[in-house]
Amino acid sequence: MKSFGTILKFELANYFKSKSYIISTLLICLVCAVIMFVPRFINTDKSSKNDKEVSGSADNEENKDGKDDEVTYMALYDAGGIVDMELLKGYFGETEFKICDSEDAVKSLVASEEAEAGYVVKAYDDYDYYVFNRGMFDENTEIFTEVMEMSAKKKYCEVNNLDKDEFLALEYLQVNVNENVLGKDSVSNYFYCYILIILVFMIIVMYGTTIATGVTNEKSNRSIEILVTSTSSTALLFGKVFAGAIATVFQVGLIGGSLLGSYQVNKSYWSFDIGQFLNIPSNVVIAFAIFGIGGFLFYAFMYGALGALVSKIEDLNKSAGTAQMLVMIVYFITLIQLSNIDGVAMKVCSFLPFSSYSAMFARVAMGNVATWEVVLSAVILYASVVVMGIIGGKIFRASTLRYGNPIKLTTALKGLKKSE
Amino acid sequence: MELKLTNIKKSFEDKEILHGIGFSVQSGRALGLLGRNGAGKTTTIRIIMDVFRANEGEITLDGEKFVPKSSQIGYLPEERGLYPKKTVTEQMVYLAMLRGKNKKEALESTKKWLKKLDVIEYETRKLDTLSKGNQQKVQLAATLVGEPQIVILDEPFSGLDPVNAQILKDVIRELIAEGRIVIFSSHQMSYVEEFCEDIVIIDHGDVVLSGNLDEIKTEYGKGRRIVCANNLTLNELKGICENRLSDKVTVHDVNKHYVILNIKDGVNQWQILDAFRENNVDIKTFGAYEPALNDIFVARVGEEEAEDENENKDEEQPKKKGLFGRKN
Repeated sequence: MKSFGTILKFELANYFKSKSYIISTLLICLVCAVIMFVPRFINTDKSSKNDKEVSGSADNEENKDGKDDEVTYMALYDAGGIVDMELLKGYFGETEFKICDSEDAVKSLVASEEAEAGYVVKAYDDYDYYVFNRGMFDENTEIFTEVMEMSAKKKYCEVNNLDKDEFLALEYLQVNVNENVLGKDSVSNYFYCYILIILVFMIIVMYGTTIATGVTNEKSNRSIEILVTSTSSTALLFGKVFAGAIATVFQVGLIGGSLLGSYQVNKSYWSFDIGQFLNIPSNVVIAFAIFGIGGFLFYAFMYGALGALVSKIEDLNKSAGTAQMLVMIVYFITLIQLSNIDGVAMKVCSFLPFSSYSAMFARVAMGNVATWEVVLSAVILYASVVVMGIIGGKIFRASTLRYGNPIKLTTALKGLKKSE
Repeated sequence: MELKLTNIKKSFEDKEILHGIGFSVQSGRALGLLGRNGAGKTTTIRIIMDVFRANEGEITLDGEKFVPKSSQIGYLPEERGLYPKKTVTEQMVYLAMLRGKNKKEALESTKKWLKKLDVIEYETRKLDTLSKGNQQKVQLAATLVGEPQIVILDEPFSGLDPVNAQILKDVIRELIAEGRIVIFSSHQMSYVEEFCEDIVIIDHGDVVLSGNLDEIKTEYGKGRRIVCANNLTLNELKGICENRLSDKVTVHDVNKHYVILNIKDGVNQWQILDAFRENNVDIKTFGAYEPALNDIFVARVGEEEAEDENENKDEEQPKKKGLFGRKN
């Protein structure tokens, strides 16, 4: 225990004195803080509608000057005069429509890219859409369909002598809803749940690799020779892993703190309230802390042991790939299953030690889970952390002084079985 | 204190590396652990330090099962390695604390060994800024910083110039004089002869020779004489021995200064001297042969090689016994 404390202090000092750790922490904190200041200098919707109105005339002047550069052209062939041109202009704003006398003319304008898109209107509920290259975010059909619908409604009101505004007010009746979620609100929980799962995934992969690199480095510069004869390999591995965990929590805490602190300062400039997404219930925060830390420790021991299997940094990827693959699989399964949070896959994953860190956390945040299930899963996870620590320590001990070609994990495990 | 290894066997992946070796070493004495590369020396050392577990056999300290504590053993590995980017003091204090010292004791011990090894001026320097020789001395200081009772030194002199080697020699003599157990592994036989009362030669995972170095030398030189003449070159003298004295002696070897003779059974040295005189050999030196450790090592390990080759050629042939037999 005494040597564990010594190793923990030494390894922590390594982190906190490391230039790369200090610089990366400060740099990320700075970037996060600066990002939150951006709306002060770049207008968003909420930030200043008034400003927009004030500067509106200036903008218009600019638009006038650069009209040809800004304006988009579209082609329209409407033989039956179905489309209400007033509505069309309202919906498409700056877009100018070239009125064609045939469908071929529309096609020709689109094909020559003189028009961004073209519409051939056949009836109130039927039109053809032409586009040369369709973009990822092409919404033209949605907008034009709405124009068509509105045109039809307007025509109907005219034919039936109805007040158009009354008709539309009824059509789009504003219903006031007071939502009262007594259980869990998956919609609002989804965002932070998603973010936190990605966060744990990134922490495990990044810091797990750092721990593995540290172990391989000691093997590579041969300091391990004198270390394993000065203390137990289990104490060495536990010291390294816990130091890594503390350094990680500290760094992530600082980054998160700078992000939120800076957001608080600039809150009024943001067009939407990030706080609504970060309003995480305390039970979810606790579950995240318990399962996130447990999962990190579980994988950190695995990474440490895998780092001991190779003697050169360049071989580390081969060895650490096993853990990497496992983390990736768990990550994808959890994210895919977020929409089916109470499904069998999530239930099974929430009890397996290598996946419970994200699956059980997600179930706590978004699904229906009994307290006993959470407790059982946490017990399994932390018991597995201890077992993984002991196995990791043994692999570490057996592999640290074996140089040369990378040792296969299966060979190391067989060796352990034999020695027992 | 007596550290004793008995019938130690060790296998890696179904290949037996040590076939049941055994030897002992007392406090206040240095043991030379010798062997060719891959003979099993480092594996033996790691078993003593409990880095590897033996498949069979036991290690005892004063008759009790030996479970090494980090504070008991100081190990200077052949593969040198400390933290290149840490200061000398920082890493030595860390190692001393790992071996059970508190911070104050660790600092005192660090300063003591850095002073003794004449590297105290580098205490605040990062290791990778020191010369190879000074790094080597820091490595030795790191070995001794926990004040261990058992000191295992693997090739301690490699990379040291004569001045630094002398500093190291003085420190090793002091360790022995203080009553510590010193196990000294080296291919530089002259250093082993200088420090070690006892030797163990391991070859292919077996102890092929062990015991008190003086006794081994006496035993190895028994029945042998050295001779050189004023009126003949060594090669001429060798020719006379082989052609005219073949009923009395055989030529064992010719080194830089002497012809080394094996005296045949029933022949005494006066008869040999008479024979030389009869052949007009003007004897300059004629005396007892005390072999160098290097000669003994080459002879023993070479003998084992020859045995192995013979065994491979003809497995039916009976096994030749070594000079002292195998000791387990």
